Amino acid sequence: MIGNSVNLAVQIGDIKLKNPVMTSSGTAGYGSELADYIDVGALGAVVTKSLTLKPKAGNAPPRISEVNGGMLNSIGLANIGIEKFINEKLSTLVKLGATVVVNVAAKRIEDYVSLVELLDSQEGVQGIELNLSCPNVSEGGIEFGSDLKILRKIVNRVRKICKKALIIKLTPNVSRISEFALAAEDEGADAVTIANTYVGMAINIYTRKPKIHNVTGGLSGPAIKPLTLSKVFEARNAIRIPIVASGGIMNWADAVEYILAGATAVQLGTVLFTKPDSPLDVINGIKEYCLGTGIGSVSELIGKVEADIAFSPHVKK
Amino acid sequence: MISPFIEYTEVIKTLRINGRTFRTRFKAPKIASVVKAGQFVMLSIGEALDPLLPRAFSVCDVKDESIELLYVAVGKGTSRIAQMRGGEKARLVGPLGNGFPIVGKLEVVWIVVGGSGAAVLPILTQSIKKAGASYRIFYGARTGGELIGFEDIVFEAATDDGSAGFSGNVIELTKKELKQTRPDRIFVCGPMPMLRAAQREFSDVKETYISVETPMACGIGLCQGCAVKRSDTDDYFLACKDGPVFRSDQIVLEE
Repeated sequence: MIGNSVNLAVQIGDIKLKNPVMTSSGTAGYGSELADYIDVGALGAVVTKSLTLKPKAGNAPPRISEVNGGMLNSIGLANIGIEKFINEKLSTLVKLGATVVVNVAAKRIEDYVSLVELLDSQEGVQGIELNLSCPNVSEGGIEFGSDLKILRKIVNRVRKICKKALIIKLTPNVSRISEFALAAEDEGADAVTIANTYVGMAINIYTRKPKIHNVTGGLSGPAIKPLTLSKVFEARNAIRIPIVASGGIMNWADAVEYILAGATAVQLGTVLFTKPDSPLDVINGIKEYCLGTGIGSVSELIGKVEADIAFSPHVKK
Repeated sequence: MISPFIEYTEVIKTLRINGRTFRTRFKAPKIASVVKAGQFVMLSIGEALDPLLPRAFSVCDVKDESIELLYVAVGKGTSRIAQMRGGEKARLVGPLGNGFPIVGKLEVVWIVVGGSGAAVLPILTQSIKKAGASYRIFYGARTGGELIGFEDIVFEAATDDGSAGFSGNVIELTKKELKQTRPDRIFVCGPMPMLRAAQREFSDVKETYISVETPMACGIGLCQGCAVKRSDTDDYFLACKDGPVFRSDQIVLEE
């Protein structure tokens, strides 16, 4: 039966998202920047850029470069620091009616714990996303996220003090992301975000210099969607907790693809740079798709790809 | 500060000025009603994914409910934009950035531009005139043939090959004139090597403002890609939010 209403709400830990569309960390500033263009309260959630204990200036420019089908970035976690965020930015987001997920990054396990302690007491924060996957800093980041033991330790320590929804953002720069997703689940994470950017590089052939000051950067954009889609599918077959998909979504159909592959929610990143009002189109497109195909609730679509993994040389049950 | 707009709009027309230099006019009633000299817009072509990112352009001219962009078609993005014809769909986000400072009545402003930095001349000279101030323009290009003419705008030219005006670069020309007389302010717009030279050579004119061009993904403060080194701390400005116009002594233009 084709009705005229669709339930778009999904659940991540204790957070009830009004729809599955979130922003991706590092692509929506602190959320308020996006509010010039759209009602951020209409989103499933706003994920802030990574916050660290102390302010960070970030990497030297050039920090970004467009490549075919995507872009490289190496921002280096430039941010105002957790204290200033809590004092100056959080209340703005709350006033705008946003569901707030704060992304945090650190060089030391203790610093993750300190960051989460600070945020756990903030009423305006609904969830915390741990960045264990930044490809553009020399310590922490990807190093933590590609070491199963360290990842376990961080999630374990943070979970003990975190009452809010805890989401672990994983790096795709590992051979089997499902092992990392499973480790996060074992240690009590409420969800995993799959995934951060892929390490990439571009060279100016005339100057013979890399196009990014830090030589390599993180590749994002439509080029990575098939890559991350397969990682979401791989993880879906390994874990039970929700997956938040992030990787090259340019429109509502990409989002539906991710949901069918096993994502409970999706994050929009690079597309915000080209079209800051795209989240509204994606939310509306998902709704229309559900209406048109007789789906009453978007959660009915999660993981409903009809794929026989017996055929897949890569994905195992 | 006025919030920027997203305008789903279309091209009115594209004109080839000379060589690879083009002017494209867009319907943009909201942006046209508030844009200031030195501010910019981010332009995307329809729903195309290639080029992926929008391109930043400083606004050249405002007429009725439209804005005009002037650019040199060098890369993938600008070459594609140069092919845009009347009626073709476009998306504009703007006006963005701070623009040049408002000048006081009777002030004397020198405008120093090079290459496609000349795009700012129509809108900037209008705003200076409106403020009751006066200006002189120094405009540099490689050859006389690359200089772009604008209606009612008189400039003093400098060309690398000496084919028009002063033989040499526009910074040398301005420096020579600075020995005779001094303006209240200098506004500079052009390619990075020229901006660096301006910083060095005009350092004793405190009120020198330069409009920087940096790689930019979003233009609206989301990506933090357009970092410009601050001179006072180890931190960065964002060209899109804090600039693109900076007082020369506030920033370090790294090689």
